[in-house]
Amino acid sequence: MEPGSAIRKIIHCDCDCFYAAVEMRDDPSLRQYPIAIGGKSDRRGVVATCNYKAREYGVRSAMPTGQALKLCPDLVVVPGTMAKYREASMKIRQIFYRYTDKVEPLSLDEAFLDVTECTQCSGSATLIAEEIRRTIAEEVGVTASAGVASNKFLAKVASDLNKPDGQYVITPQNIAAFVKQLEVKRINGVGKVTNEKLSRLGVKTCGDLQAFELLDLVDKFGVFGKRLHDLCRGIDNRPVNANSRRKSLSVERTYSGDLADQPACMLKLPELLLELRSRLRKVDSDYIVTKQFLKIKFNDFTSTTLERAATDSLPLESFEGLFDEAWQRGARPVRLMGLGVRFIDAGEPGRALQLDLFD
Amino acid sequence: MKFSLSREALLNPLQLVVGVVERRQTLPILSNVLLTLDGSRLAVTGTDLEVEIIGHADVVSADEAGEVTVSARKFLDICRSLPEGANIKFSSSDGKAQVVSGRSRFTLATLPANEFPSVDNGENNIQFDIAGVILKNLIDATSFAMAQQDVRYYLNGMLWEVSANKLRAVATDGHRMALCDAECNIEIGELTKAILPRKGVIELSRLVADEGVVRVAMGSNHIRVDGSDYCFTSKLVDGAYPDYDRVLPKGGDKLVEGNRAELKQAFGRTAILSNEKYRGVRIMLSNGAIKMVANNPEQEEAEEEVGVDYAGDELEIGFNVSYLLDVLNVLKGDGVRLTLSDSSSSALVEDAADGSAVYVVMPMRL
Repeated sequence: MEPGSAIRKIIHCDCDCFYAAVEMRDDPSLRQYPIAIGGKSDRRGVVATCNYKAREYGVRSAMPTGQALKLCPDLVVVPGTMAKYREASMKIRQIFYRYTDKVEPLSLDEAFLDVTECTQCSGSATLIAEEIRRTIAEEVGVTASAGVASNKFLAKVASDLNKPDGQYVITPQNIAAFVKQLEVKRINGVGKVTNEKLSRLGVKTCGDLQAFELLDLVDKFGVFGKRLHDLCRGIDNRPVNANSRRKSLSVERTYSGDLADQPACMLKLPELLLELRSRLRKVDSDYIVTKQFLKIKFNDFTSTTLERAATDSLPLESFEGLFDEAWQRGARPVRLMGLGVRFIDAGEPGRALQLDLFD
Repeated sequence: MKFSLSREALLNPLQLVVGVVERRQTLPILSNVLLTLDGSRLAVTGTDLEVEIIGHADVVSADEAGEVTVSARKFLDICRSLPEGANIKFSSSDGKAQVVSGRSRFTLATLPANEFPSVDNGENNIQFDIAGVILKNLIDATSFAMAQQDVRYYLNGMLWEVSANKLRAVATDGHRMALCDAECNIEIGELTKAILPRKGVIELSRLVADEGVVRVAMGSNHIRVDGSDYCFTSKLVDGAYPDYDRVLPKGGDKLVEGNRAELKQAFGRTAILSNEKYRGVRIMLSNGAIKMVANNPEQEEAEEEVGVDYAGDELEIGFNVSYLLDVLNVLKGDGVRLTLSDSSSSALVEDAADGSAVYVVMPMRL
């Protein structure tokens, strides 16, 4: 087989309820309770992660803590310690790097690995995944699940199948049979709306979807149609991108009490901006700010985002201007505010830098 | 209120003002036009609170004076779809307006005229007359360089500077700049500056199309332009425009003259294979020729060479090709002159024969 066309070996590794696992590792007495990591309900926090005991009660990530406590009154809510999770995440990443440089982190607890060229474990991706999971459990003290397949899409779907603390392998020979029965809602990018649209077309599984012509799908779903056409056949040629770059950076806060009016919101802008600036200082200097944006969620849960061209200086007045305009769109008490910037990446190959007239 | 006039007489002012009437409005009355009948003259007013345009028409019969507001979009659509030469009778009473033409009859909802906002007309500081066509040339020569939705809000507009017998327009988005001068009839001692908002500039350019003379009046917060059948008022942008004189390149030692159409076509072709996001083109200047090269992420390449008048050191410099094309598109003469110095300094572009407009383009580091 030619080197370029060799079948790839991709592992998707995903820790099991990561934040909760780290907390239970550090305080084993928590293991007997349903626990959730997140903000307190009286401060209107949301659940970031919860353990499997809590999931039995129907508690889920991104659920308001108040609602989670209604479902599960015994829930132990633990405030998260980001620094601790980041440290554990770095240790896990170092374990990945023992096998390959081609690691694409998706978040603190999730990553793709391309192990096509690995020689360890006689080159068996299945054995590598097992060894990695064992090592994470021994050295970091949390469990992880893995999916092994010939591309990112299938590996990601597979890692979910034997959770927690398990793995699932889709061999090239099994792809056709596997995708045939795979529900389309498992496809990353098929959310509620697309799933409903597909249901109306009588599509439940990827097998059903295969009956549709490419042009038909593009007509119905735009560019995503092309991707659906590939994915439902188990095709995904995206490479594992070891140095994926940031496109934006933002900070946001849900306030414990609604901010009643414009002046109340204005008072909160400086601290948000300080936070944004301090986060910005930590990113690579290759990133050049091109746009700034402001997001508001009103107390009726409608949200709006306004964006403008910007430069690195990010004066407070510029965000105040954005706020004034965004506030007009709802003109009611505000639940959440966020500030952010979008970048162009001077480190990106082929990128050109437009010089400014005024400095 | 009651009057009648021809479809064409009514369409003209409606089409003049409809541009400022925004489709999505928080204030319902802003999607309406104000109709005012005074004698035999009908005034049609549209506003977005920043820019106000009044269009005028003479009615055939003025049966009852008055004023009322109706939906701009619907009223225009009705008039447009009536047959050519149709006579239109308009009347309003009890919160409803009636539009009758032949056997067609439309009843429209109205909002009271006294709720229609007007753009404040403060004191006028200066006033001058200028031919509409000259004003249009001035705007069209520069408006493409205005910023759009920039946080430096004063760049989302056009600077006007009035001095003795001269009106100067400047527009820049921070990467390139356009500057154009026109003669106008005014005795004035000191320089008067105003920043017109982007929307006002675009509307004004549509209005001042004809040969007639218009009267421009400027105050500290507003500008007003009166034509034969319209009146335009815009708030001014409150802010300090950057010192444009400082960025006009002065030390350029590499003078290049070439044929505008040839250069424009060559840049246009090269642009096809430039990076769609950054639009970068590499220019290699040598004795008698400009070579332009573009590459895209797919590793495709375009290369062009155009003969020019140039004798001097070689220079390699990158530009956003869209910025160069914008300039080559608004220039009108056959010849174009470029003045360059080095690969990180701006280029000055102007007509080879007419110095009334100059363009400054900052390079790209490719």
